[in-house]
Amino acid sequence: MRNANEYRSALKPVWCPGCGDFGVLKALTQALGDLDVPPEKVGMISGIGCSSRMPGYMRAFSFNSIHGRALPIASGLKLARPDLTVVAVGGDGDGLSIGAGHLPHAIRRDVDITYIMMDNGIYALTKGQASATTEMERKAELGLAGTQERPINPVMFALSLGCGFVANAHSGSLPLMRQLIREAIQYPGFAFVRVLAGCATYQSKAYQQEILARCDQLPEDHDPTNIRAAVDLALTLRFQLGVLYRRPPEEKPAFAEPYAWEEAARAARLAESRDLSYPVDTD
Amino acid sequence: MERPSPGAAASAGTASSSRLYDSITLTLAGSGGDGVALLGDLILRMAARQGLYGMMVQSYGPQIRGGESAVVLRVSTGETLFEGDETDLLLSFRVADLQRFRGSLRLHARSVVVVDAADQDPLPEWLGRTEQAIVRVPFAEIREGREVPGRPKNMLALGLITRALGWPPALAHAALEHRFGHRPELLAKDREAFEHGHGTEDAPQLPRLVGHGVPLVVETGNEALARGAMDAGLRFFAGYPITPSSEVMETLIDELPARGGHVVQAEDEMASMGMVLGASFGGVPAMTATSGPGLSLMTEMMGLSGMAELPAVIVDCQRAGPSTGMPSRTEQADLNHAIYGGHGDFPRAVLGVFDVVHAREAMHRAFHLSEKYLIPVLVLADAYIAQRRQIRDNIVETRETPRRRVWTPKDGPLAFSLDETVPPYRLPGTPEGQVLLAGLEHTSEGWPTADGTMHERMTERRFRKMPLLVAETRDWFRTLGEDDAPRGLVAWGSTYGVLREWVAQHPETRVFLPEILHPFPLEAFEEWRRGLAWLGVLEMSFQAQLFHHLAGLTDLRGVRSIARSGGLPFTKSEITLRVEEAR
Repeated sequence: MRNANEYRSALKPVWCPGCGDFGVLKALTQALGDLDVPPEKVGMISGIGCSSRMPGYMRAFSFNSIHGRALPIASGLKLARPDLTVVAVGGDGDGLSIGAGHLPHAIRRDVDITYIMMDNGIYALTKGQASATTEMERKAELGLAGTQERPINPVMFALSLGCGFVANAHSGSLPLMRQLIREAIQYPGFAFVRVLAGCATYQSKAYQQEILARCDQLPEDHDPTNIRAAVDLALTLRFQLGVLYRRPPEEKPAFAEPYAWEEAARAARLAESRDLSYPVDTD
Repeated sequence: MERPSPGAAASAGTASSSRLYDSITLTLAGSGGDGVALLGDLILRMAARQGLYGMMVQSYGPQIRGGESAVVLRVSTGETLFEGDETDLLLSFRVADLQRFRGSLRLHARSVVVVDAADQDPLPEWLGRTEQAIVRVPFAEIREGREVPGRPKNMLALGLITRALGWPPALAHAALEHRFGHRPELLAKDREAFEHGHGTEDAPQLPRLVGHGVPLVVETGNEALARGAMDAGLRFFAGYPITPSSEVMETLIDELPARGGHVVQAEDEMASMGMVLGASFGGVPAMTATSGPGLSLMTEMMGLSGMAELPAVIVDCQRAGPSTGMPSRTEQADLNHAIYGGHGDFPRAVLGVFDVVHAREAMHRAFHLSEKYLIPVLVLADAYIAQRRQIRDNIVETRETPRRRVWTPKDGPLAFSLDETVPPYRLPGTPEGQVLLAGLEHTSEGWPTADGTMHERMTERRFRKMPLLVAETRDWFRTLGEDDAPRGLVAWGSTYGVLREWVAQHPETRVFLPEILHPFPLEAFEEWRRGLAWLGVLEMSFQAQLFHHLAGLTDLRGVRSIARSGGLPFTKSEITLRVEEAR
């Protein structure tokens, strides 16, 4: 156990008072502390957006990169440095619009990283444009573009791609979030945690209350290894908080073999002591 | 044939009249399925086995798969980086197929032409004329006026050509055994056809070339780029398939894991470059390889590499652009993009590649600069190098592990001190070394900032790397010809190969070829151009990108631009003509 503050940098968050991202920062640092991960062994990767500022608030090896590319960078880091605990964070705009093309492949590759998507259903950093998760009625109400475009359901998206760990959280439920992030980090493969993290500036108090009221605890009898049950829950109009799906260790990923990264790492260690000349023949 | 085709040793000012080596150029044309690429490859390997040099380029019809294909290969007694202007032997299984290669094929007065006995089509006018009688050989088996499956044509041709070259049949048998030893039935069939072809009566005769007897290595440009990178310390590669660079990734898939490295085929070029930066963040030397369209997609992350000071090597095998352009054709028109591409100001280096042998040196230099200065380094090869097979000397691999200067607590708390041109690299895992890297402008502590003064100071600090680069790379260039030749040409990249031979026949001209395009070795260039009565800049770029790059660096008044689009590489006769026109 380490104190959560060991993972906090001196930098003061630029987030607005009441921002849901504060809770995620707290839960993440607590989860890392629970797992006793040395701070210098944490790699924090983000793209661009309000929530993507988070790596700066952590005393880790952090990289606040460019819009939409957190997942390839995090994957590259973890592949090169399997000894690190790598967490990618970002918002719905970063991960489901500009960077959406990377999510299927990160899931397919099943690199052991944790991806926390802070979903506020709005482009907050650029002052309130509609995102890929903004509900159609909200767009009409707020006069935003794309009133005819259906939102993406991030949990359904991840499940449909064969993600081995899919959890839903709300930034207001700190203990549950802490537990879910801890489990996600422990999961040996790509883990996806969607956090409903309200925007204090571009969402009304009433709408934030409505979101909270739509949150449910997972049914007691939910079997997280049952993908069909997970899909059923993901398809409701309510938000089920908890681990919706966790692939049982003996089951292969839904759509792809996991890469033998550990094997590759062993080969790497072996190669240190071997002489290898190129197989160029002179015939 | 047995024309003197002298090559001049680079920068040595070799006397251009000396007869350095003899060579033979063979052109083999056929339809898809005729196996001319295999035929060419076998001949090249037989040459290498005897200690002969040479290279082979493949020319396709408009589609990458299927359709007409031709290979041009030149075998010679000395290292050759150019396939020659005219062909000594043209072998065509179907004369009509030749139409696709208009402009890239020429006969001379003593060229040998071999066609199928059943093919009565006249040779096209544009080929030029040979004084030799056309040799008609029954390659196709005809029954009742229709072609039926018979002996493999390429193996008949291999027998014929082996005989024409005066090479021992055992060489061909060894090459076939090496290639098809695992398929005995096929091997037996091929050998039978080979013997049949070798027994052709009245087979044409080509001059005998004698190699030095030490077996040499056949390697493609893409293999050389991949292996050079591995020698230079590459441990992580991510890429996305694209013509003409895909074989860099394919070679690494085969050879990097055994050296303890990872290869990832990414979902697109942005992901490739992102993974490269991620691995590099982890302290592992990393690169990607692509062509023009991929480079365009990577551009935003080139800036991130420069801003976050994360080393990255990007190989660009240039193809004819813009947009999709001509994927299998060469060009030198990514230069602007490599040097100037991307928003904002950031330091970088851009290297050029001359040929297969030089590719290794370029990769060593790229990793060295990238890791030492924490910058993106672009290596510009092109389709003409990437896709060629070249016979090269055996080399001793020089293993290097590029090392970044790694931060220790003694370096102090500031991550990006304004006093440190190249900040010590904070390697993940180092206790107390935690850092925030960002594409956002940042303070010395690494915190994001929107302070204009800080931005100016940080930009100035990052650009202080450039004078250091200039000092380290000032002799990264080659010259050809006599130092006091009155006329001069500047060129870069694969044009080196043809110029090496052209200059030997044009002693009035000296040539300057930068190995680093940015920062340009300007001091050496100014020194070199002194006393020139005439200077031209020769390149495969319609916009004359090298000319304009140079014009921004020095006074080019009176200097002529000799620039055209890519497609086909320059030949000696074309250079002569264009230089004459630009007088």
